[in-house]
Amino acid sequence: MRIGYYISGAGHIALILFVLFGGMFNSSPEPFEVTEVSVISGAEFEAMMAAAQQPEATTDVAMPTPPAPQEAPPPAESQPDPTPPPPVEPQVTEAPPPDPAPQPAEALPPQPAEVTDAAPVLAPPPQEQVVLAPDNSSRPVPLPAERVAPEPVAAPEPDTRVADTVTEEVVPDAAAETPREETEAGAPEEATTQIVTEAMEKPSAAPTSSIRPRTRPARPDPVAEAPRDPAPQPQQQQAAQPQPSTSDAVNDALRQALEGAGAPSPAAAGQSGPPMTSGERDALRVAVQQCWNVGSLSSEALRTTVVVAVSMSEDGRPMNETLRMLSYDGGSADAARQAFESARRAIIRCGANGFNLPRDKYAQWRDIEMTFNPENMRIR
Amino acid sequence: MMTRVLTLLAALVVLALPAAAQTGPLRIEITEGVIEPLPFANPDFVAENAAATELARAIARVVAEDLTGTGLFREIPSTAFISQITSFNSPVQFADWRAINAQALISGAVSVGGDGSIAVKFRLYDVFAGQELGDGLQFNGTQAGWRRMAHKVADAVYSRITGEGGYFDSRVVYVAETGPKDDRRKRLAIMDYDGANVQYLTDSASIVLAPRFSPSGDRILFTSYESGFPRIYVMDVASVGRRALATQDGTMSFAPRFAPDGNTVVYSLTTGGNTDIYRMDINSGAATRLTSTPSIETAPSFSPDGSRIVFESDRSGTQQLYIMSAQGGEPQRISFGQGRYGTPVWSPRGDLIAFTKQSKGRFHIGVMRTDGSEERLLTASFLDEGPTWSPNGRVIMFTRETQGEAGSASLYSVDISGRNLKQIRTEGGASDPAWSPLQR
Repeated sequence: MRIGYYISGAGHIALILFVLFGGMFNSSPEPFEVTEVSVISGAEFEAMMAAAQQPEATTDVAMPTPPAPQEAPPPAESQPDPTPPPPVEPQVTEAPPPDPAPQPAEALPPQPAEVTDAAPVLAPPPQEQVVLAPDNSSRPVPLPAERVAPEPVAAPEPDTRVADTVTEEVVPDAAAETPREETEAGAPEEATTQIVTEAMEKPSAAPTSSIRPRTRPARPDPVAEAPRDPAPQPQQQQAAQPQPSTSDAVNDALRQALEGAGAPSPAAAGQSGPPMTSGERDALRVAVQQCWNVGSLSSEALRTTVVVAVSMSEDGRPMNETLRMLSYDGGSADAARQAFESARRAIIRCGANGFNLPRDKYAQWRDIEMTFNPENMRIR
Repeated sequence: MMTRVLTLLAALVVLALPAAAQTGPLRIEITEGVIEPLPFANPDFVAENAAATELARAIARVVAEDLTGTGLFREIPSTAFISQITSFNSPVQFADWRAINAQALISGAVSVGGDGSIAVKFRLYDVFAGQELGDGLQFNGTQAGWRRMAHKVADAVYSRITGEGGYFDSRVVYVAETGPKDDRRKRLAIMDYDGANVQYLTDSASIVLAPRFSPSGDRILFTSYESGFPRIYVMDVASVGRRALATQDGTMSFAPRFAPDGNTVVYSLTTGGNTDIYRMDINSGAATRLTSTPSIETAPSFSPDGSRIVFESDRSGTQQLYIMSAQGGEPQRISFGQGRYGTPVWSPRGDLIAFTKQSKGRFHIGVMRTDGSEERLLTASFLDEGPTWSPNGRVIMFTRETQGEAGSASLYSVDISGRNLKQIRTEGGASDPAWSPLQR
């Protein structure tokens, strides 16, 4: 409690001191403008006023001369309407002889088009531009020498001193009786025989353009996708991290959710368009069940549920060759075969004219799995 | 605090994404369908030589009648055909058959050999799938057996489409009835399942009852009053020779039925005013008593595996159904509904028991599970009784008798779904049918 008093008291004291000495109540002078004036006498004022010349008033105003009146033009005489020329009677001429009836040309057999079984020569598809790998390296290279000398000189060692003459490096020879005097290695400055400008540079072999990247290969089947069970390890690691920042926590939550059950399958990731509505699904279901005739199924087949997969064309027709039974439950293999054949007939028969499916959602119904469950159709 | 809020919001956003996006293929579930006859096209079979012209047409008609008679198929009339089958090996124009909504197409051919034998071959096509269902089949036989060959073709077609065995190449033994009700004459007769090829096995000198086929179809058990008392006889179908089972003189034995092994017979025997169930080895004549109660136990029927017997008994005061072991023992009651239950018959599939039920003055043919559950009544009339199963367990045949002085008995069949009730064509009255197994 006392700590609170102390803090409050100190705060008040600090506030009072700031008000008193902080300049809050100091008044600063307002800025003002200073103008210099001079004093003159009355005579000087009169003389100054007299010097001002007033303009003379005048009454002669040049009036403009009025324009001369023009004679009115004589009225135009009324001219009688010209008499129309007598109509020219068309000259009667004898009817020309009828055109001779065209002689029907003999129907000539059409010239058989020359058809060859040879496949047409097609323009080869654009190939990828094959280029040589550039012979220049991406590594930085030293700048060319700026000095021109009669003989080209390679770049000396980095620690070599630039000198006019080449001097060998002499180091102390411990084995020698008289050690030689230490001198630094000398080498002429880096030089070349000519100055190479950008215009003289060798053209680069790097491609100037590239073809569009190819599309990604087809994604694997959902069956082959990784198990969706979220691994508990990331969560444990997350819990063990001390005081994650806000952005890290959000990123980790996103990562965990995407790695978990909510992660869409690769097949779904390739799908686009809005999802199928329940009404659209029901329409497909009703269309199929109208053709699913279980009247000829055996009792065992009526206890068998089969899952049938089918791929659809864009016009809503099932591709018959893709019809297959994925699994069955509740009966023998023979009963499942009968149930599958019944389901297959239903799909093909009612899909012959195409199911009523939204074209813009083709990616959603391109592959369909139908579960035929005859539980409600069994004999009771 | 801010970190937690942002984390939660991010997780919610990401988890909401799959709700809008669809993962994988579009998945729908079909739980409702239609139950209607499957339309099929069955052009006249191709006669591969002149002698086979009439046979080709007749065989095709029998095949079509077999299939349509099940109620599961509907034949498309030939006037609607766009294509014709002129050669057995010519390619099928599936588009023409699809256009008339034929879901199955039968293409067949018949040829007559120099020795009078005939060959019938056929192919079955799934029109909408554009492919053949199974392989083509050929049957060889005599001209006298052309109907059986037609039935076999129909059986194969039925089996390939429905997935269960056929029943067309089978026969029915029954009691043929003639004369007025007060002087009705009865004799055993056998016919094809569809009423064709009737043959009489006994004369009308004595009353015969309850014929039953052996599991192989070569013998028949029946009850005859030839000796003045009801007694059980076994008859060889081929030779029509018969003999009486070794039962005690002066007793009444009736309601016989073969066990699945074909060597054992269960039946009812009345001695001293009490009726119980017995089993007998048909070769040795050794009998074993299976029930021993003062009530009436009768109409025994084996389960397909021969382990249990279903029968009727009035031990509870009313006529009800019970199941006991094939070796006897304490039975278990399975019928608990209103009315009286009788003449139970175990399905060849083993899953259902057919029975006759009398309730509120009417008779019904019904089925129930072997534990008595899911009872369903398939028919109702003044008098329906004596059900018998088709070889595939899909159809039940029974006797229906009409009311009044002019009333007569006739045979009917009904699908176990309760649909397709129809009368079987017989010469005169008919009762007490027993369906044979499929012929070899």
